[in-house]
Amino acid sequence: MKHTIIVTLIIGMMTMFSANAQQNMDKFMVQVDGLGCPFCAFGLEKKFKEFKGIKTVKIDIETGDFSFSYPAEKALSLADVEKQVENAGYTPITTKIERANGKVEVSKATSLSEKTKGTVTKNVMVAGNCGMCEARISKAAKSVAGVSEISWNKDTKMMKVSFDVEITTLSEIEMAIAKSGHDTKNQKAQTATYNDLPPCCLYERMAK
Amino acid sequence: MKNISLIVVSIILFSACKQKEIVPKEWIFSNTIQLVGVNPIGLAEVNGKLWLSDGDHNRLVQINAQGKMEAFIDSLDRPMHIDALDGVLYIPQYGSDTIAKFANGALTFVALKDSLDAPAAISVFQQEKAIADFYNNRILYYNGTDWISFGKEGKAEGEFYYPTDVQITKDKIWVADAYNNRIQVFDKEGKFLQMMGQSQKMNAATGILVTENEVFITDFENNRVLIFDLAGNLKQELSKNIEKATDVLIMNEKLHVINYRNGQINIFEMAEKIVEVN
Repeated sequence: MKHTIIVTLIIGMMTMFSANAQQNMDKFMVQVDGLGCPFCAFGLEKKFKEFKGIKTVKIDIETGDFSFSYPAEKALSLADVEKQVENAGYTPITTKIERANGKVEVSKATSLSEKTKGTVTKNVMVAGNCGMCEARISKAAKSVAGVSEISWNKDTKMMKVSFDVEITTLSEIEMAIAKSGHDTKNQKAQTATYNDLPPCCLYERMAK
Repeated sequence: MKNISLIVVSIILFSACKQKEIVPKEWIFSNTIQLVGVNPIGLAEVNGKLWLSDGDHNRLVQINAQGKMEAFIDSLDRPMHIDALDGVLYIPQYGSDTIAKFANGALTFVALKDSLDAPAAISVFQQEKAIADFYNNRILYYNGTDWISFGKEGKAEGEFYYPTDVQITKDKIWVADAYNNRIQVFDKEGKFLQMMGQSQKMNAATGILVTENEVFITDFENNRVLIFDLAGNLKQELSKNIEKATDVLIMNEKLHVINYRNGQINIFEMAEKIVEVN
């Protein structure tokens, strides 16, 4: 009887400690593009192991969903997480943190402008290779005020972009994309920026 | 009349000889083995049995000819391009920066004198070993006496951009220089000798196999396997059923190509190709 009580107490305490440990963990969910290759995905996972105390790491190569939990007292920020994703050579699309205290933080997604009467649609060639390129090109175009729609086809290398001619120009959009490392028909990316792209994004440079 | 008959017979024989002219053999698709719940990255043969590294599930599996799992080694940490010699499996563990050895049911570790950062492949040949050290952009090579290291990050000759596979042959070391999209060849002092595949527009040259006459490389993102002669001339391109291929192996004279994403092993056999010539 005495032993049963002791065992019950120990189990109870362990459960309590475990529940407390869970409660003291922040949960992180990151959408990362370009994890189709196992060397890339496992590399991302490995780089996050540098965060001592990281737990429940899950990575889905097919969807790019990457999640983990981390001790709340370390107050890991959205910026820290996104920087580490970039250090591993990848692009964070969205990041969400569910803090142990119930607070939720979400990375600022770049939003598109509303379509207006002055909106026109243009097609232009943009160099790139993969899904990660697509995310980067799209993000760069969206960062230009007045852009209401953007799509890029990795096979044809054509970007279709809708924008308000009263607010911006195709040339400004192309410049923003070139700044992100991608050559366009009329704008060439800086060599240093191009060289900093992740390995799978190193497309064949466009002739001037 | 006799002369005319002789001429006719000669012409027929001459024509027949020309028609039987055979061009060099080619690899022809044979069949597919569909795996269930396995995403293979590397493969090796041990005592006539095929082993696959299943990095997604942190294990190695041994399968039969139908793809059915017969044995496994679990609790590994992202095993990648494996190799085998004399019944011993060598397992690079990408997640824990170690090289494990599996023999007679026991797992031990290869002693190293340097630290790795994501070992993506190992090759064993007689007393020699070579490791593709992915994040350090180098090859660690043991010549039977000493370890040497060669390569650094870059695009020039002898530099790497994430090497993912390596193979030692009698007098050379061959490297799948994955994100430089090429193969590089070195002597056993680590001196650059040769480059190949750089004009083939590969996108992630992930797995390499070198035989007496051919060099095979998986072009991961382009869903194909390129086959070169030892001088680097492209001989053949395989694409049938190939999807995100990570490695190749010749076993029982058949070429086995593993697809990471859909868990297939596609088998190709060497066949003679006869062409008609005038």
